[in-house]
Amino acid sequence: MAELILKTLTKVYTQAQSAAVDELNLGVRDGEFIALLGPSGCGKSTTLRMVAGLESVTSGEIRIGNKLVNDLHPKDRGVGLAFENYALYPPLKVRDNLAFNLRAHGLGAKEINRRVDEIARTLQIQELLDLKPAALSSGQKQRVNMARAMVRRPSVLLLDEPLSHLDARLRVELRTEIKRLHAEQRFTTVIVTHDQLEAMALADRIAVMNEGKLQQFDTPLEVFNHPANEFVAGFLGEPPMNIFRTAVADSRRLVIPDTDFALPIMPAIQKLVGSRKELKLGIRPWGIRVSQTQTDGAVPGVVVVVEDLGDETRVGIRYGEVLIMSSIPVTRRYRPGLPVFLNFNEEDLNLFDPMTGERLSDGSDSSNQPYENAAENEIQAPVSR
Amino acid sequence: MASIHLSGLTKFYGKRRGVEDVSLQVGDQEFLTVFGPAGAGKTTTLNLIAGIVTPDRGSIRIGEKTVDPLEPADRNVAMVFESYALYPQFTVYQNMAFPLRSPKHCLPAAEVEQRVRHFATMLKIDHLLERQIQALSNGQRQRTALGRALVRRPDVFLMDEPLSHLDAKLRHSMRAELKEMRGQLGTTTIYVTHDYLEAMSLGDRVAVINQGRILQVGTPEEVYFQPTTVEVAKLFGDPEINLIEAKIRSRQSTSVRVQALGEDWSFPITPEIGSALDKLTGENVQLGFRPADVTVGVNGNSSLHGVVYSFEPLGTKSVLTIDSVAGQRVRALVDGHRTFQVDRRIEFSVPSASLIFFDPESTRYLIRSTRTEGED
Repeated sequence: MAELILKTLTKVYTQAQSAAVDELNLGVRDGEFIALLGPSGCGKSTTLRMVAGLESVTSGEIRIGNKLVNDLHPKDRGVGLAFENYALYPPLKVRDNLAFNLRAHGLGAKEINRRVDEIARTLQIQELLDLKPAALSSGQKQRVNMARAMVRRPSVLLLDEPLSHLDARLRVELRTEIKRLHAEQRFTTVIVTHDQLEAMALADRIAVMNEGKLQQFDTPLEVFNHPANEFVAGFLGEPPMNIFRTAVADSRRLVIPDTDFALPIMPAIQKLVGSRKELKLGIRPWGIRVSQTQTDGAVPGVVVVVEDLGDETRVGIRYGEVLIMSSIPVTRRYRPGLPVFLNFNEEDLNLFDPMTGERLSDGSDSSNQPYENAAENEIQAPVSR
Repeated sequence: MASIHLSGLTKFYGKRRGVEDVSLQVGDQEFLTVFGPAGAGKTTTLNLIAGIVTPDRGSIRIGEKTVDPLEPADRNVAMVFESYALYPQFTVYQNMAFPLRSPKHCLPAAEVEQRVRHFATMLKIDHLLERQIQALSNGQRQRTALGRALVRRPDVFLMDEPLSHLDAKLRHSMRAELKEMRGQLGTTTIYVTHDYLEAMSLGDRVAVINQGRILQVGTPEEVYFQPTTVEVAKLFGDPEINLIEAKIRSRQSTSVRVQALGEDWSFPITPEIGSALDKLTGENVQLGFRPADVTVGVNGNSSLHGVVYSFEPLGTKSVLTIDSVAGQRVRALVDGHRTFQVDRRIEFSVPSASLIFFDPESTRYLIRSTRTEGED
């Protein structure tokens, strides 16, 4: 186990216009589990590959356990890597697949057996040890794959979309197992994923990336509840956050022009709105309560969509181009055409600059500190010479 | 406008079963979703209706007409695929107008224009009509594909996973918009999906299919709350429904005492549940309950005990996996504001009103407790 520190890590491919990874600062604590989350092409896999040593670094530093590893051979970095595709050796039994790297490192047969048995117990694959990969299900292959990455007792475990090939049921199952395993073993772990639920479920902290740049690095709940910008807000959460443009009318109300939408500016956000003429409002479907009785500050509307989804009901209200979705407990009460009132929960309101997409904040909100800070603090101690 | 009758449709591909003995009635203007995992026979069903695939046995009626001998082009059905199948070099307008200019329709230009604009407005792509397909986002392409199907005013719409190529975020909003538009379409629609949320949200009724056979046809509420088999119950909901074996210890007229999850457990029952339990041959019953129905950390007479195996926050909700006394795992969906430490002892309970009873021998549905309506 060790901490992993990335300092202004940059990757520029020769023909590319912009950096694939652009001055990334991240500090992963010893034993911490972090997720690199973002859409395809955001630079998350490139980052992982640079850490693993499979990709050269254009500039910046990678430190594992305070040792600069930029120029080390992959096998000397002390990293264990599990890919999305399993890359097991088909002619070898599971046991030999697991032992392969240990033999390459010159460990004795007894020690190898001990370690293989131990990791097989941990990942509950003991009964698979004498099978060949072709006989395994995809879930079993992925377990073996992870076991192979862990059997070397790496300083840092790197997981590249380990669950994305699996069907939904298996994905949820193995996600739980990985989480449990980390709670027991506390491997320093970096997972790359485009699945926000996976990142939320597994990671102690999530680094959200877009177009090579770090957008936010914080705990799952902080990233979810206080997204640093519109991109992060939109990327996390299912169903997605309602995000729409509003105009400020007589500095008292937020309105969607030419519609009935008029939300009084509550004291909590007055300072944030300031003298702005326009801003974007973001609120998750659970932050809006739908009611048939009018209360102070409620926004009138008419139901256009009702989705009964078993454990919850989603109700859609349209204001011109904007369809606002609310998620409520199961009820048969709502039908299209029904007039209702929307109550916006103050604590769940997010305001974004309509031009830059940055979160508006009065400074009391910790998530609004420049996003590198979280990583910067981690970096200071070990990197200073 | 037309109803659809499928009777005894069977199609084998060599030895592999595509579908077997599929019988379904879809009412005029009804929106039926066909839901099942990959390889279940969903697309085969659609292709049979469209006439792209010929059945080994069985018959298809659209409206009053038996369409079995008809060519696909003469069935007046329109298909929308997962892949948009648009002409990339054409504009949105040209793509939408294309079917109307075919020899079969050959509508006058003014009528073509009127129809294209009408449906483009409904689909909110009227501002994109002169755009090339390459310049569109995925969501806009999907709308264009829908538009091209709509302008033909077919008797029947067949939609094959039209949203599954979209990213998760867009899928949710397109689903809601599609549902919103449904009312304006008024066309009989069969919509194939492997996403249970889509099936429940969009369908007036849901046909659950697996391994080429229809397992259940019912309203979204019926398939979710009264699944005919354990298999159906497992296909709806994420995380999956909890299923536990319970041994019936004793029974009064209004309550039952069972041993389940390693503990003694009693809960009230209705006379209907009582007589359903009478039908069981053994002394065991299988209980199903959804993760969202599990209450955690509540003291009460139905409290069960366990240890936190894993805790996965997902934002608004979190998944809590509990090791019960018997070792069997139970999943609970809890409020996102609560946190739980791994290995901590906890109490949990399952409200009797959320229990679904299955026969452990046949895995078929017996009965469920009455659900009370949620209040806001």
